Amino acid sequence: MKSMLLVFCSVLCMFSATFAQTRQVTGKVTGSDNQAVASATIKVKGSNAAATTNADGTFSLKAPAGSFVIQVSSLGFAAKEVTIGASQATVNVSLTAQANDLSEVVVTALGIKREKKSLTYASQLVAGDEVTRAASPNFMEGLSGKAAGIDIKVSSSGVGGSTKAVLRGARSLQGTSEALFVIDGVPMVNNKGGQPGSYGGNDRGDGLSSLNPADIESINVLRGANASILYGSQGANGVILITTKKGKAGKTVVNFNSSTVFDQVTGIPDLQFDYGAGGGDKNWSKVKGNYQKDYVKDFFQTGITATNSVNVSGGNNQTTAYFSYSNITAKGNLPTNTYDKNTVTLNQSTKLFNEKVTLSSNVIFANEKSYNRPGAGYYNNPLTGLYVFARERDFAAYKKDYQIFDPARNLYKQNWYSTYEFQNNPYFEVYNNSKLATNNRVIANVKLSYDIAKHLKFETRGNIDYNDVLFDNRYVAGGNSVSVSSNGTWSYTKYKDQSLYTDGIFTYNNNFGDFSVTGLLGASYTKNTFNDGMNVGNGTVALQYPNFFSFANMPYNVIFNQSLNRTIKEGAFASANIGYKEMVFLDVSARNDWASTLALTGNQSYLYPAFGLSAIVSQMVELPEVISYLKVRASHSETGNEVPFNVVNPWNSIGGAGGPSGIGGINRNTQVPFTNLKPEIITSDELGAEIRFLKGRLGLDFTYYNSVSTNQFLSLAAPSGSGYSSYYVNAGKIVNKGFEITIDAEPIRTNDFKWKTNINLSQNKNEIVELIASNPNYQVGGNDEGFASIIKAGGSFNDLYITKFSRNAGGQINLNANGVPVAAATQVKVGNVNPDLIAGWNNNFTYKDFFASVLINGKFGGVAFSKTEAFLDSYGVSQRTADARVNATIPINAISSTGTAVTSIDPALYYSSIGDRNGIMEPYVFSRTNIRLGQLALGYTLKVKNASLPIKDASFSLVGRNLFFFFKEAPFDPEQSMSTGNGMQSNDVFGMPSTRSVGFNIKLTF
Amino acid sequence: MKKILIASLMLIAMVSCTKDFESTNQNPNQISDQLLKQDFNLVGSPFSGMLLNLFGGQIEEDLCYDSWMGYMGNPSYFVNNRNNTTYFITWNSYWGRVYGNVMSPSKQVIQLAATNNLPLFATWAKLIRVLSVSKLTAVHGPVIYSNYGATTAQINYDKESDLYNTFFLQLDSIQADFAANKTYSGFAKFDPSYKGSIPAWQKVVNSLRLRLAIRLSKVAPSVAKTQGEKALADPAGLINTNAENFVVSLNGSIMPVAQISLQWNDTRMGAIMESFFVGMKDPRISKFYAPITNPALYADHPTVPYKGIRGGGFNDDKKAQTVFSTCSMDFNNAQTRRAFTASEVAFLKAEAALRGWAGAGVAKTNYENGVKLSFEDWGVGGVDAYLADATSKPADYVNPLNAQNNFKPLSTITVAWNDADNNEVKLEKIITQKYFNTYTNTLEAWVDHRRTGYPKIPSVAKNDSDATWGVIPVGDYIKRMPFINGERTGNTAGVADAVSKMGAGAKDDIATRLWWDTGVATNF
Repeated sequence: MKSMLLVFCSVLCMFSATFAQTRQVTGKVTGSDNQAVASATIKVKGSNAAATTNADGTFSLKAPAGSFVIQVSSLGFAAKEVTIGASQATVNVSLTAQANDLSEVVVTALGIKREKKSLTYASQLVAGDEVTRAASPNFMEGLSGKAAGIDIKVSSSGVGGSTKAVLRGARSLQGTSEALFVIDGVPMVNNKGGQPGSYGGNDRGDGLSSLNPADIESINVLRGANASILYGSQGANGVILITTKKGKAGKTVVNFNSSTVFDQVTGIPDLQFDYGAGGGDKNWSKVKGNYQKDYVKDFFQTGITATNSVNVSGGNNQTTAYFSYSNITAKGNLPTNTYDKNTVTLNQSTKLFNEKVTLSSNVIFANEKSYNRPGAGYYNNPLTGLYVFARERDFAAYKKDYQIFDPARNLYKQNWYSTYEFQNNPYFEVYNNSKLATNNRVIANVKLSYDIAKHLKFETRGNIDYNDVLFDNRYVAGGNSVSVSSNGTWSYTKYKDQSLYTDGIFTYNNNFGDFSVTGLLGASYTKNTFNDGMNVGNGTVALQYPNFFSFANMPYNVIFNQSLNRTIKEGAFASANIGYKEMVFLDVSARNDWASTLALTGNQSYLYPAFGLSAIVSQMVELPEVISYLKVRASHSETGNEVPFNVVNPWNSIGGAGGPSGIGGINRNTQVPFTNLKPEIITSDELGAEIRFLKGRLGLDFTYYNSVSTNQFLSLAAPSGSGYSSYYVNAGKIVNKGFEITIDAEPIRTNDFKWKTNINLSQNKNEIVELIASNPNYQVGGNDEGFASIIKAGGSFNDLYITKFSRNAGGQINLNANGVPVAAATQVKVGNVNPDLIAGWNNNFTYKDFFASVLINGKFGGVAFSKTEAFLDSYGVSQRTADARVNATIPINAISSTGTAVTSIDPALYYSSIGDRNGIMEPYVFSRTNIRLGQLALGYTLKVKNASLPIKDASFSLVGRNLFFFFKEAPFDPEQSMSTGNGMQSNDVFGMPSTRSVGFNIKLTF
Repeated sequence: MKKILIASLMLIAMVSCTKDFESTNQNPNQISDQLLKQDFNLVGSPFSGMLLNLFGGQIEEDLCYDSWMGYMGNPSYFVNNRNNTTYFITWNSYWGRVYGNVMSPSKQVIQLAATNNLPLFATWAKLIRVLSVSKLTAVHGPVIYSNYGATTAQINYDKESDLYNTFFLQLDSIQADFAANKTYSGFAKFDPSYKGSIPAWQKVVNSLRLRLAIRLSKVAPSVAKTQGEKALADPAGLINTNAENFVVSLNGSIMPVAQISLQWNDTRMGAIMESFFVGMKDPRISKFYAPITNPALYADHPTVPYKGIRGGGFNDDKKAQTVFSTCSMDFNNAQTRRAFTASEVAFLKAEAALRGWAGAGVAKTNYENGVKLSFEDWGVGGVDAYLADATSKPADYVNPLNAQNNFKPLSTITVAWNDADNNEVKLEKIITQKYFNTYTNTLEAWVDHRRTGYPKIPSVAKNDSDATWGVIPVGDYIKRMPFINGERTGNTAGVADAVSKMGAGAKDDIATRLWWDTGVATNF
């Protein structure tokens, strides 16, 4: 790696060396407040010569002989031209801050840059620094709270785990509703692996962890489908556009960033250690004992995540290049859990043929290896046995001798006192059972841009995203008897994901008097071949020989499955943006898609339009002086969404291995062929306004949206009598409406002290207006071990249904003849697991060379649900049960089976009858509202004045994430999710406890 | 301008190619009908799967009638030990198995048989449907059969009396087709049970007709007699020897009872079977269950090292009870499971003889033959001494861990036939021995218990039935399984119609009797 770096540096030096031209002009660029302006561009008018300022505002320009004019520009400042005399060697340029971001250029769909003022839809830009500030290993975690309208959840599985990002609410019943991620204009594959459920499993990650957060220049969140019509259906859930760092003409810059973050478990359930189990499984002894107390917290270790990254960039006016390498080495909170990641990024851009052609390329290589990533659920989860351990027993002994020799088999088996399948010796689980996940990924693309004529440009891109994925889970013999075979269980999955993308786009830009026209015409082709590989697992069918995990050792009656998910999408699109006097802009666009998944239906080609209008009111009418900028915007768009692979007319499958002398039968496909399948249509309307006050120091962006999703693709269990087992319909109407508010302000701006603040608020209301008109009772989702996340007409996405107590008309809990509370007959809705309001308040302070950043995150409303607590109660290990035992009774408003009022109940009877797997979950539903100190960074920037030192800039900061909660009712952190899939949201079934992270960050610029 | 034109044309050319869409959208890991036509696999290949799905797994059998009938007992306290085994319905999935894995594929088979001119495959598929749905109706009562495949929103269920008539008519037609094609060999490759022997399947047809006729012997005696005598008289004969037993291939999967008991360390010998087998000195105990090593656990009968768990009992410590008897280790090696044995036929004939049906032979002979066939089939000796035992009676059950589960046997019968006994005692002996034999194929034992009250077994120790699924009074037994939730919500009108077809006052609960469960205590 080091030698690669050296080679790369020398290449960069060569580029710089070719400019041994006539003379050197140095200088400094400052703002009107005399503060240095970093990253300003200095360009020699009429020439290719250019330079960029350093952090201290200085630059050095290789200039032509004689007098010339330089053009100095920087984001947020008015551009300025300065004439340099023939013999002038230094120049200081003072730029005037622009009162509003009128000329702010943002990257929109397909990597097309547009002036923000011309956009007719909502977008929000977040600088790359923001997402890396608190040293989050995954940039999505760093984005949480910093942009409006995005609900981000992070898997509780720790570093390298998956995230879930939903913009403007969930809408897809079968899909994920997650945003599309786009890197430099090209859609990025973000295939999410399996997620844990009630019975177990572990987070299999997603595609986003392959990115190196330090490579991110900026993130632009296009919240609506409006913004993403040019990506077709993939963009229907909103788009997160990632612009990566590029080399800049001028000096070679080397950045080095190192962070070390310590993660500490903070969310361990409130457990009791005073009452034992009297030799049994459940800790319902009434006699206090003196038992071991610290083994639960001692089980979790301090996680350490060390991130080191270096990037080198530079170039000249023809060619720029950027190289980065990063490494994450992490140790999780769970013993034996590790994660390692290496990424290499290389991009370059070269101008050819008199700068008419620009050829650029970008290659990202990522290698990730995760070992024993924590899971959740009942089976093979160390936390179950850890939490419910019989208190009077010697945990230290079970820790030391987590396995014991079994002379009958001549192998080691688990040492554990309980045979209940949901608990194991936690140390046996982590030491003996291995879960390995690796992936090697390359994302490579080439872009060619050709200025055909003065106003006409052609761009074409090709991208390949290739990922080689392995999941290898090994469970040894002698462990859990329900989930593991007597000779061990092997679950092996290996596949590749490959996405080919290419597009070609003409853009036309011209002004006709008061009118400006930007036109675009293009086509794209995407071929995705996902899950192309195999998986095999022997489950509980014994391997031939114990603990040898090899294909050759598989028993004959195990099926080796091949998997594939293959789609081709072709699109043609056109769009025009017409501006009038730079104050009114009209957007019109249309796209036609052809989708392979709709083959045979006659609906494989589908067209959908979008319109938008924006007006800069502040340029049209005279507004009070306090308002420096006012823009209003409105848009309407439709997006078609294709259906999943292979649902129109699937074939048959092999039913089994067959007996030793026979052949396995064929399972006939019993799905109704769906040859009238149509694409799903999402119609979005959006209204918004951007207002800036006080010369731009205070800004407000408000958006109201209403998106209606129809023709959803629904898989239904066919009626028993229909002759089929399942069928599909296009049905449903799901409405998401809400608002997003972004307020940004600079309340304090003095020479020494600056405070920038940013508030993001959003609210989404989801309504399932209709699923199947002819079947109003139809629902998606059903009872999952005591609760149900149900989607049905009249409700909302992820409504939580649980079993309550059965009560009489007077509200008294019905007891049965044994005095046990009776469960209500049917599960009832107790709320929705999604928050009503999402808020983020981000603050950046600088005082001289000190800086601080404080992020407060809040999610309000909704319910969270803990089956962990239900288990802990029924096992008598929660502190709650110990407290109840002190009084030996729990007050209850109940009525006996013979009709007499009952006012108290025995704690053991009460908790063991309501808790556990499918009990009465009423006491385990909590408000999901939580407000936390999400991020805190305190640092110091050392500006090196001495030019002879190699270091230009150094900064050191202390960072913290999830430091504490200002408010939280649920016994777990609803944002650190056990699953990032559709179900199991705001729910905990023995997921990893939440963590607090603190660490430090060092940044050096050479 | 020309360049633009060319480039535009290229763009359009790029996107206009949709001809591979159809193949792109096919999954190459699925097998097409085209490929299945080779070696004539298309029509025959679903049969082994449909046959296996005559049976259920843990939640359909082990946690339902295996437990209710006392064959097995569960050490696990599933769902806080309030579940199907204690009369609180938690799992109800046999219905879905029948419609998803038998009815639906057989519908396709019947169509494919027609288009491929292989009519006997359709006949065979129809027989499997009767085998399967005649089990399903014994669980729920009315089921969807004649209206199966309807495209209407409301799909009505068959009233039980109509359903049995339909079964008998279909068996007539199936037997006629088979009788005309006795030498047909087309099934050979697809038939793990009989290697395609039509005469063997004819015996299944007759035996099934006799089984269904006996079910109706109390509720519709004349129909039962007609059909029973028809079965007994058919020249193709019944399953009379163990070599003719109808067994179903497990298709490479493990026998469910072995998986649940031995792999999952769950289900154990039932307390009721312990009471019968220990008390009546039945040597089949060693073929059904595995002995245990801790004498303290079987101190109540120190010479018989077995201990069972009370199904639907009080369990709160799984580990303590997992040391009780598992199923026999022999089931680890099972490749097939019993679906209809010669022994069951012999007991059916014994009952038919008691009822005076022509062709049934002598009750005693049939009874003793049934026991002999069962001993032979399960591979145990000593049948003569066993049949002669007129003293050994069912024993008290003692649970060494929790006395709440103890019971005294309700039955006082012995094995030996006594012509002097009245018909009720004779029937009790017949049904009790039929019950022993049908271990691992236990649905018919639940049918017999509801129909005749035999074998005399205790009810669940822990009765959690309540208004949710219907109340079963203490000491009484579960009568049926409710219709599934999918049907309750998706075919509400159809379910309402079905409930009305169960008679006045019927409810879709577990306390409503099926048609042939007359509630009349006497059997003659």
